[in-house]
Amino acid sequence: MFKLDRKSILMGTSAIAASALLLSGCMGGSASTGGSATVGTPSTVGDYAIKNKTAIDGGVTYARANGTETAYAYNQQSTKGVNFGRPATANEIKAWDIDALPDGSGLPEGEGSVELGDELFEEQCASCHGDFGGGGNGYPQLAGGNQAKDENGILITLKNQRVYGSTDAPKRTVGTYWPKATTLFTYIRDAMPYATPKSLSNDETYAITAYILAQNGIKIDGEEMDEEYVLNAEKLAKVVLPNNDGFYPNIDGPTAIEDIRTFFADRATNIGSGTRCMTDCKDPGGIDGKTEASVVKIKYEMSDVVPPYNTTRDLPPEIEDKSISKGEKLYNESCKLCHATDKMGAPAVGDAGAWASVMEKGFDEVLRNSINGVGGMPPKGGNDDLLPSDVKLIVEFMIDSSKEH
Amino acid sequence: MNKEFNTEESTSVVSRRDFFKKTASVSAVAAASILAPASLLGDDENIMHHTKWGTSLGKEVNDNPYGLPSKYEHNVVRRTSPLMSSAGDMHAAISMTPLHELNGIIVPNGLHFTRTHNGVAEIDPNKFRLMIHGLVEKTIVLTLDQLKKYPSESRILFMECPSNGAAEWKGPQFGSLQMVRGMMSCTEWTGVRLSVILEDLGLKPEAKWMLAEGSDGSEMSRTLPIEKVLDDVMIVYAQNGEALRNEQGYPVRLMAPGWEANLCVKWLKRLEFGDKPWYAKEETSKYTALTASGKAIQHFYALETNSIITSPCPEKDWSDLKVGDLVEIEGLAWSGHGTIKGVDISFDGGKNFVEASLKGLVLPKAWTRFSYMYRYEGKPMLLQSRSYDDSDNVQPTVNQEKKVVGVEGVYHRNAIHTWAVDAKGGVTNVQVRS
Repeated sequence: MFKLDRKSILMGTSAIAASALLLSGCMGGSASTGGSATVGTPSTVGDYAIKNKTAIDGGVTYARANGTETAYAYNQQSTKGVNFGRPATANEIKAWDIDALPDGSGLPEGEGSVELGDELFEEQCASCHGDFGGGGNGYPQLAGGNQAKDENGILITLKNQRVYGSTDAPKRTVGTYWPKATTLFTYIRDAMPYATPKSLSNDETYAITAYILAQNGIKIDGEEMDEEYVLNAEKLAKVVLPNNDGFYPNIDGPTAIEDIRTFFADRATNIGSGTRCMTDCKDPGGIDGKTEASVVKIKYEMSDVVPPYNTTRDLPPEIEDKSISKGEKLYNESCKLCHATDKMGAPAVGDAGAWASVMEKGFDEVLRNSINGVGGMPPKGGNDDLLPSDVKLIVEFMIDSSKEH
Repeated sequence: MNKEFNTEESTSVVSRRDFFKKTASVSAVAAASILAPASLLGDDENIMHHTKWGTSLGKEVNDNPYGLPSKYEHNVVRRTSPLMSSAGDMHAAISMTPLHELNGIIVPNGLHFTRTHNGVAEIDPNKFRLMIHGLVEKTIVLTLDQLKKYPSESRILFMECPSNGAAEWKGPQFGSLQMVRGMMSCTEWTGVRLSVILEDLGLKPEAKWMLAEGSDGSEMSRTLPIEKVLDDVMIVYAQNGEALRNEQGYPVRLMAPGWEANLCVKWLKRLEFGDKPWYAKEETSKYTALTASGKAIQHFYALETNSIITSPCPEKDWSDLKVGDLVEIEGLAWSGHGTIKGVDISFDGGKNFVEASLKGLVLPKAWTRFSYMYRYEGKPMLLQSRSYDDSDNVQPTVNQEKKVVGVEGVYHRNAIHTWAVDAKGGVTNVQVRS
């Protein structure tokens, strides 16, 4: 078994190139020639950037060399061989590796009919996704939309471009937008129903998948999906959804990575870019390319924001802390400093003996002393803001907390 | 150009300003202190009298074992809108960062924007497991403690939902900076470079793609090309020095610097290496950008160069300025393709631009602050910022972007933003477009 060395990883400007390097490293047993010695100080990383090979997203790949990567320093010592985990067991992989690919690999055994799917959908899905998956409740619409295509094979509904205020939106349902049917199966099984995800069996998931495909008028191997139609892994893998070819750049097959790189390398053409005009700039444009720009204001402001906008700096509405009485709260703020212990000569809260002798004067006298001051204690403990009623609550708390239990 | 721009202050502008400024007294005091000669000024009672906090004992040091902001800051919070949810349901929704209240380039963890697809999961870190398998020479299962034993790196990186600004494709809709651009944040993330772990596991030659899968109710999953994984992708467990917040994927999420936040899968559970892309739900039915051609861009990874002026903005406008005041125009620029090189500012809706200065740290794939000192004239204007990066990207006008991708794409909107400043200093959200 060979190990991937950092040089190989980082020199690879594409997965294909990386693979080739790795393969040769493996077969020639030469992975250690320079590679392992320079792990962590990969001058090859520098080459990667110096060659000005753009990143797959069209952006910059920064050199990681001589202990720095842009403004960041890093430890140049080798990290190769760090491993604090353990291998996964076969059963663990089986339990978690349940994803499926568009070719059907990974789909589980099981089957379900459109009819059963209808029942389950009605019970568990329609409240959000609408009857027959037709939407209308604010959650994604799953079925419906016109699947007619233009002469280039593009779904006509997807070419709709709403003008501000117009409602003729492109429809994005399973039948008009989704590229792959296997996605429907795995998503329903793993993430639905919304409040109780992963509660559906594989059979039930096949049934609901069948129902949604049927509602979109999907044919499998030329066959209509009627009530009796039973879906399984083999049949699901054969589904070609109407918008299967509606996405770019290409991400499939051996040229995928280079296709993506090529696409993002020309961002001005493919995703739009500006120009650094500094004076007397013109900006006619939009899809028609002609109309002169003007200033568009908000027509219908989305002002329903939670919590409402507010930039003032004031005190929040008082939230009552029910875990603590008002007397205790005020005691903590104004009296605890002296009364927590007897070190300052004040009767300590919790000292039953000390408070028994205080209380020989009677409650009214104790309260009067608390308000007016007594001995070394200033009036209201020094907090003039306290109301007499506050002091009463405090004294009651202090007495109550100092009783013999 | 700009013929429709109305120099008269409309009633909606007035009401919006009142909306944000519930108390006019503060700015009135400030204005008075500037206008009046010193000899005529009244004495400020905040100076002439002892304060309550200066004449009493403060709270004990451990009153808040986990520190909290001043209670006077209680309005500095994330905000949501039913428009960014399903029928007002806030489990699959977005809460927006209050950009108008932030300084510098680091967002406090409690204000980091949040996007969830099935609510905020609360994971028991003791039960967390990360599995890496598929086309690797050896598989691995890691606990959280084990993951944290790997050598760590920290990076200041922005995180942005590709839907940021999506409500504005067809025209301006929100009257605040927070709701217009708050679907992003920037923090220091700490974790392990995935390449360090893969160095030991060994990738098989045919491995080309990685599936990242979350453990929350939505089992959020996305496919990434291995090139990116080996370049700078991290598995992170800390933000701004402390554990990730639940809202950001506690205990562990993926970090793909500069790329869609959706690719930075939260509550991470599993990484599988394969030779084909998975076509997960969030990379097919969603997070693909439908263009005017009727076809959609898929695997739309990096967030393009972008910028927005944060001061002034509708929430923090210039209604307290007087003509002749020298004031700073400030904003944020960022690019998922690299490092911000500069920002230009226009006062006339994009006819003419001047160069602003960058300030503070200028880091790749991170928020970058820009600044321009401006002598306030009390005239209406159309304020714009336009960023450019070290990857030859220049932020497009609304028209330049629209011409290529149309208005139905939902994702990756990075057109130049315009604030209309009226004669009284009020600020509203407008667009310069055809």
